[in-house]
Amino acid sequence: MIQTIEASPDEIYDIELEHSLLEANAELAKENRALLDRHGVTAIDVMGAIGSGKTTLITRLVERLKDRLGIAVFNGDATTSTDADLIANQSVPVVQIATVNGCHLDANLVGKALRKVNLEKLRLIFIENIGNLICPAEFPLGSKARAVVVSVTEGPYMVRKHPHMFLGAQLVVVNKIDLAEAMGVSVAELAQDVHKLKPDITVIPTSCKTGDGLDDVTAALLAV
Amino acid sequence: MHELSIASAVVESVLEFVSVRPVRKVLAVRLAIGELSHIEADQLRFCYMAITEQTPIQDSALEIDRVEAVVRCEKCLYRGRPKYWEEALLVGAIPTLQCPDCGATVEVIEGNDCAIKSIRFAIEDDGLTVPAA
Repeated sequence: MIQTIEASPDEIYDIELEHSLLEANAELAKENRALLDRHGVTAIDVMGAIGSGKTTLITRLVERLKDRLGIAVFNGDATTSTDADLIANQSVPVVQIATVNGCHLDANLVGKALRKVNLEKLRLIFIENIGNLICPAEFPLGSKARAVVVSVTEGPYMVRKHPHMFLGAQLVVVNKIDLAEAMGVSVAELAQDVHKLKPDITVIPTSCKTGDGLDDVTAALLAV
Repeated sequence: MHELSIASAVVESVLEFVSVRPVRKVLAVRLAIGELSHIEADQLRFCYMAITEQTPIQDSALEIDRVEAVVRCEKCLYRGRPKYWEEALLVGAIPTLQCPDCGATVEVIEGNDCAIKSIRFAIEDDGLTVPAA
């Protein structure tokens, strides 16, 4: 007699995978970096809160370096071209990346911008990220280094409030030090907070207004 | 942040997975979220439930395992959990990249990623007939 065995309609399978969800952007970032490396171009991802001084810092650095090196600037902004226009006055190639509703730049957008400049003629690209200390940390762009600009006017707790941002940085610029006394903010304590997170980050106090620290920032960038 | 786009990516991967298999019902998706990734498990679960509503996988559970951070120090060869920054003003300890032994900057070995580890599903009922021995 034949017995019929039926597979249970609830035969359950558990299939193992190893599928990273963060891969897509990371792969594009690696492609950007490979393209930049092939042309000997260093890209710096400049991050920081709104009003920290990213655009002014980039403008000052471009002023100092443009006669020595081929420089381009990518400016990420949701809706305006005000920052890009400021930098365009310096007569270097500027690409405006309008994110519209996006709160961070990503490797895909930067990849598109890279196709709009002549990499053969460049040595340095400043990528000014969206003014935001949370989201950009999660999205590598393919830059060689990340520089976070934090200003004393944001108060004394910015580092501990945004650890992910600082953990991913190689350079921290503490800006507007000419206002530190008025703000009652200690530049030394901010630097200490940064080093508690990551001991070997270079921290440079600056004032884009007076020019203090800009030589050091320039040297640090050229050494990246 | 961006838990919604991660949830979207999970759903997309699951739907792709079931499109080539005789799946009757997806029961659960297991994720591993690294301590150092920026992804918040509760928010992710909420987004997942919201976007799977009214879809074939709406009753699937999202199981989340937390992957602890592991770091390595090139200087003193320490390998293990990172040093945590704990202080009165901080809500919970913050993982740092400082070596707990020698204080140098460490590199991350584990705990950065967010990945799908497994998918549990019931297969289509196709009633096999097997002769007795």
